Amino acid sequence: MDTNALEQLAEDIYTCNRSRCGFCVADCPVYRVKGFEAYTSRGKMLIARALLEGLIEPSEEVQEILDGCLLCGYCQARCALNNLEVITSLRSRMNQEGLSSPEHQQKVSRIVEEGVLFDRPVPMKREGTTPLYLGCLYQSKPVEARTIISVLERCGLDPLVVEETCCGYFAEAAGFEDDFERIQEKFTEAYGEHADQEILTLCPTCTITLRERYGLKVKHAIVAVAERMEELNPGQLELRATYHDPCHLGRMLGILDEPRDILRALGVELVEMEHNRTFSSCCGGGGGVADTDPDLALEVAKNRIRDALGVGVENLITVCPTCEPTLLRGASRLANETDVFVDVRSLWDLLDEALPQDE
Amino acid sequence: MDQEILDEALEELQATLGDRATPDLSHRIGYSRDWSPRHRSHVDLPDIVVLPKTTDEVVEIVKIAYRHRIPVVPFAGGTGMAGGVAAWKGGIAIETKSLNQVLELDEANMMVTVQAGITIWDLNEELARHGRWFPHQPESKRACTIGASIGCDNDSTFGLRYGKILDVLSNVVMVTGEGEAVRFGRRKAAFTSTGYKLLDLIVGSEGTLGVVTEATLRVFPMPETRLVRGFVCRSLEDGIRALERMLASGLGVESAHLNCRRRLRFYTHAYREKYQKEPEIPDWAEAILFLSFAGDEEVVKFSLEKATRILLDEFAAEGVKEQEMVDGWWASKHSLDFLPFRQKWPDSQRQKKFGAADIGLPIGRVQEAYQGFLDISSRWEQDVLGMTVYNESPNKPTASISFAVFVDDSTEESVANFYRYVREMSAMAVEMEGTMSSYIGDGDRLGGFNELEHGASYTYMKRIKEMFDPGGIFNPGKKFESRWIPTP
Repeated sequence: MDTNALEQLAEDIYTCNRSRCGFCVADCPVYRVKGFEAYTSRGKMLIARALLEGLIEPSEEVQEILDGCLLCGYCQARCALNNLEVITSLRSRMNQEGLSSPEHQQKVSRIVEEGVLFDRPVPMKREGTTPLYLGCLYQSKPVEARTIISVLERCGLDPLVVEETCCGYFAEAAGFEDDFERIQEKFTEAYGEHADQEILTLCPTCTITLRERYGLKVKHAIVAVAERMEELNPGQLELRATYHDPCHLGRMLGILDEPRDILRALGVELVEMEHNRTFSSCCGGGGGVADTDPDLALEVAKNRIRDALGVGVENLITVCPTCEPTLLRGASRLANETDVFVDVRSLWDLLDEALPQDE
Repeated sequence: MDQEILDEALEELQATLGDRATPDLSHRIGYSRDWSPRHRSHVDLPDIVVLPKTTDEVVEIVKIAYRHRIPVVPFAGGTGMAGGVAAWKGGIAIETKSLNQVLELDEANMMVTVQAGITIWDLNEELARHGRWFPHQPESKRACTIGASIGCDNDSTFGLRYGKILDVLSNVVMVTGEGEAVRFGRRKAAFTSTGYKLLDLIVGSEGTLGVVTEATLRVFPMPETRLVRGFVCRSLEDGIRALERMLASGLGVESAHLNCRRRLRFYTHAYREKYQKEPEIPDWAEAILFLSFAGDEEVVKFSLEKATRILLDEFAAEGVKEQEMVDGWWASKHSLDFLPFRQKWPDSQRQKKFGAADIGLPIGRVQEAYQGFLDISSRWEQDVLGMTVYNESPNKPTASISFAVFVDDSTEESVANFYRYVREMSAMAVEMEGTMSSYIGDGDRLGGFNELEHGASYTYMKRIKEMFDPGGIFNPGKKFESRWIPTP
């Protein structure tokens, strides 16, 4: 159980208490909205210590703070400690005490029972040679998925899309360890036959889960596109834009240059935001926060759009099925306050526009 | 605190601040400690945490606290080394970091007015967009705020050229003990000969006189070039005398940090990681002097050449051969580049905790004090990390010294030994005509004991405190009282 998991992390927890450098504070996207220390990594490290020592008991108060974490990893990028592991262990501890949000419970139950996180309007399948794992979000958006498949085809790839179940990231992130184990079994049953092949992925979160939790050989499809850009002859887009690094794609998988290289190849004038690359700021869509505190998620998204406005651009490009709608929502709402709309677009859409269609 | 009084106060605070006033334990824990050495399980819990965003809101908070006689403890970066933010008498912790707006950048007069909760890092990021910078920069600047620098009178990497916060501070707005927001200082002038210098009182007052909510600061043009170099010296004394010579020659040196041989190890993690070996330091070298020069390229180059000639020709020093080591030191001190910092910081504190006696001395007594440091730290079984002499006053060598140790925080007794070490170091400083603290402050460690340093003037300090804070609500248990070091 999680007291053990927390105890195993005790050295990190006490080291943070001893160090108190505060590097995780100022740019934590949740702290930027909430302003209380508890929402930062070092604040949660103090809560972790208090739980270990019995100073505080698991409670709805603590749960509210933990549910407010985007698991974006900004703190971990600033620190030598295993911040995310401590935070997910804390969530798991809350869950075992019966403290988990109904929204999260419902989602995890659905993954366990149906193998999906969202509705899948049409079964997506395609004969091909290279496995392409769409993930729940793209399974729920067939139009976008088809656009991406078309782009990949134009890049000379031949994606194989088969029936797939959810990777289960959400269950682990929300602290449902036992459920995650069951989900892993289902996933392996459904997708295990591709274990020896290189699998293309679209969702950064699925990519990291397939790699780290299932040990699969995965490549995010945008990397495959970047590798082929020289052979393509894309049209040039007249666009001045910034690029938002999705947390899992950039900070955690280190895919920082490839999307930028593609954007330049498409003729996009790229302007960097203040928080970029490894220290990018989350869109607000991480950690299941949008389920439990949509207002917080929205404020985080608005701050990210403010980052774009801060460098004078009105176009933001990203490449993640969570970031895109979350930031678009932030941009729309912020436009009501600023009268400036920052258009949020997917890099896949830009590629679709720029790459010649097959005759 | 009486729970009924706290409940009444909370109700009033929430009427002003809504959910930005909370009694939740999970929030109070976030304000339960700073970076000061104490037992690893130690907590000081405030009763209520509030998060104001304007001076007016701070005024309301203080009025409520005054009415109910509830302690008020401002909390900023939480990186202090003296327990300055320890709410050990309970009360209201004011989270000041949401007071983070730049109110005015007056480029013609090279001044910026900010809310005091802005971090030094964020202020500099904003200034950089205008080709300006603010040179008061402690190593904690990513978390440390302007208000905290004023409250603690902390150190600055660039002290040798720009001094400390008071040298770049023109005025502040502070909310005093009955809830009145008052501007103190010299408007936008760099000096004043009228009235009393109340701004000087506020700097280093550690939140015991009021809550600083705004500050007007001097900013500077961003230098074109900076060069950082290290030199090994034959003694600490040589390092200080060489610096005196450089300044006497007319050189403008931006920063100078003199480390004893032992202390250097704390700054060489990056080098060791990269090269898997210790940097080459000659056996005869007893001290390492790090210097930075900044400005136009030709001036910087000339300055470095001249400084090098003085060090090599007149003091038989040598340049540090491995520039990577110097760059690693600079990164950990100034640019806070991630990797060296990560290696140096948490990893250095996995088993024990950094702690320091921060005495200030007349410049001629550094070598003698170093010997005292070795004796006293040994007597109290402290794990010696080493000494750094910071130069914190414009254009003259000064001895603001970190005598650092790693503190065993696993037992109350081992932590108590650290404070016995601080007590003896402080007493030694007074004997040497110096000061007990040169950048950390009294916090909850030196209060009462510091009367030894101030003598009869201590009574005047108490009267000043009563005048600013008639209810005795501001950061009680600090300046005049200690939990760790008994009053003589």
